[in-house]
Amino acid sequence: MITRNARVGAIAGVLVASLALAGCGREDEGGEGVSKDGEGGTISLGTITDLTGPFAGVGEPFTAGQAAFWEDVNDAGGIDGWKVDVTKHVKDSGYDPAVHAELFNEIKDEVLAIGQSLGTAHTNAILEDATADKIIVGPASLGSNWIWDEAAIQVGTSYCAEAMNAVDYAVEQGAKSIAVVHLPGDYGDDAMVGARIAAEANDVEFTDIETGPVAAGDDQAAAVRAVVQADPDVLIVAASPQELGAVMGGAFQQGWQGQVIGSIPTWNIALVADDSPVKDLITSAYMQATSFPTWDADVPGFEAMRAAAGDQAPNDWFAIGYASGYVMKAILEKAIEEAGDDGPTREDVYNAAQELTSVDSQGTLPEGTGNYAGEPNEQAVRVTQLNKVDPDASGKISVAVEPFVGPTAEGYEFTEPCYEMK
Amino acid sequence: MTEFLGAVSGGVGLGAVYTLLALGFVIIYKSMQVISFAQPAFMFAGALLVTYLTPQIGFFLGVVVAAIGIAAVGLVVERLAIRPMVGKPVFVIAIITIGIDVIVRTIGGAFVGRDPRQIGDPWGNQTFDLAGVTIYQRHVAAVVVTTLLVLALLAFFRWTPIGLAMRASALDQEAAMAQGVSVGSVFAISWALAGALATVAGVFAATNTGGSMDRNLWLVALAALPVIILGGLDSLGGAVLGGLIIGVLQQLVAVYHRDWFPFLDTNLREITPYLVMLVVLLVRPHGLFGTKEVERV
Repeated sequence: MITRNARVGAIAGVLVASLALAGCGREDEGGEGVSKDGEGGTISLGTITDLTGPFAGVGEPFTAGQAAFWEDVNDAGGIDGWKVDVTKHVKDSGYDPAVHAELFNEIKDEVLAIGQSLGTAHTNAILEDATADKIIVGPASLGSNWIWDEAAIQVGTSYCAEAMNAVDYAVEQGAKSIAVVHLPGDYGDDAMVGARIAAEANDVEFTDIETGPVAAGDDQAAAVRAVVQADPDVLIVAASPQELGAVMGGAFQQGWQGQVIGSIPTWNIALVADDSPVKDLITSAYMQATSFPTWDADVPGFEAMRAAAGDQAPNDWFAIGYASGYVMKAILEKAIEEAGDDGPTREDVYNAAQELTSVDSQGTLPEGTGNYAGEPNEQAVRVTQLNKVDPDASGKISVAVEPFVGPTAEGYEFTEPCYEMK
Repeated sequence: MTEFLGAVSGGVGLGAVYTLLALGFVIIYKSMQVISFAQPAFMFAGALLVTYLTPQIGFFLGVVVAAIGIAAVGLVVERLAIRPMVGKPVFVIAIITIGIDVIVRTIGGAFVGRDPRQIGDPWGNQTFDLAGVTIYQRHVAAVVVTTLLVLALLAFFRWTPIGLAMRASALDQEAAMAQGVSVGSVFAISWALAGALATVAGVFAATNTGGSMDRNLWLVALAALPVIILGGLDSLGGAVLGGLIIGVLQQLVAVYHRDWFPFLDTNLREITPYLVMLVVLLVRPHGLFGTKEVERV
């Protein structure tokens, strides 16, 4: 027969054992998104992207590019013994800001930081909570708004500054009139406002042509007519590749002749496929404005990227996803260096990001990227290069104008996101 | 004037796409009294199939094979998901068609890939001049094909036994059954026809978007709903006329909205079909040629 004392003793023993085990657990588990294993461990980064919605063509390769980057880093031993996992917490928002915010809440306790958050409105929807929880976020978005957000670790030139450079270049080439065909929303509006600022600075004619939201079946008759009527010397397009093709095809067919400069998302290798109806037009009259090197760029980082890509078809978003890994890696290196044996906490990572002034990206990111310690206007990357179609390049595009900063972007003081100045 | 006529010709081309989609809606509605919300998915899947078939067997044969393939999908869907629900409230069946739409689009979406897929049509951006009016070859092709298909449908309903059975069933299902008409076959054929028509519509919709398609192609099919509201849910002629009216109106608004409404800094084209639908529902709920519902009290 078990006595009362023996029962109390047994319960006490179980409690002590539980506490001891719980204590051991804490030591092994580390902080949120960090799992300790011996000297190092595994750091989990979250990804909230679009895998099934209208920007799946961006989200899917971007995510694959980031995964390839971290696979390379992990294969080379990780960061000071720490491996980084970006595959466990990949969530598909379908490009819906509300779903995006829900998914953030779902994974935020499981990750150390958000390595990719696709979409401007989408990232804005989580940024306040992320800042409160000291979670840094890598926006897969080139809006001009990130320079004011501590939690955002943006890469590359904004659509706004990029459009300023495109207009400055066009004016330098003799353009007297500029038109912008753009989607409504942060992306298109950001580019339109940048182009408008540069057009005013250069005192050239400017026409704003807003096109319909991303939807199929629209032959862009409205935008085509507006372009033909405005008859600009240079047309800037901030829309999707399909809209670029429809607008260029329609406008040229109706007699307009001029140069087209498109923002990064306008380019897709399918535009110059053999069966593309706009192949010749794109080849002869289109340039892509970007701040990132081309797929074939002869830089060490992209050499590694191409090796990691294997038989993956050349894709800008894969390359940019890969390149964006250098920023997170620099931040984690700093955080791990300053953290204790249990590995970095969110606060360590957050603080490391605020102290970062530059990133060694092996040539994959534009000059000035990674200065999150600077004032907003110091953080703003302003460089742009122009690419032209090149049938001999494996990515079918090569540099036409080397990276430059136009006078408008160089002297411009950002006081608010461009897209809010529509 | 040439610009106006150019817009009208573009609108007729767009209207042909809407007509093909609306015919599918109407055929199913006439046979089952159900609006099938699966049409956008059939259109999407049909065009997607064409993008895979064209490089193998050529564009025209690809369209024919894809139309047959999607017709077969329509048959299967009808047999597995719709037929067991016959007799249930039409609302329930309509909800099931929404589920089918989501399932087919999701499965199809996995085959789109990351880049837009070329439909491989031979018309591209080619145009010709007719009395100073620039006309796109793709619009002419859409109108010619739609006309042929409408004529073929009329012949089918008039001169074939199953066509006659479909008409009889549409008039009075119970009487038709009493006369030995297989209503199940009527249902099946209507879904197959709707699938085939949606495929052809999807192909021409894709030609309007730079000759390529992505996951968003299905959105164009939503404009077919205002078309059938305008033409009348149970009228094949209404589907044809409604498609043309909405297409032309939409294109005119697209071309002239900046002149007509300079204070509206947006693209009114997108909402035009729905504004028409709203007006029709308020003024003439049964549409131009739809059967006016008579309720005995």
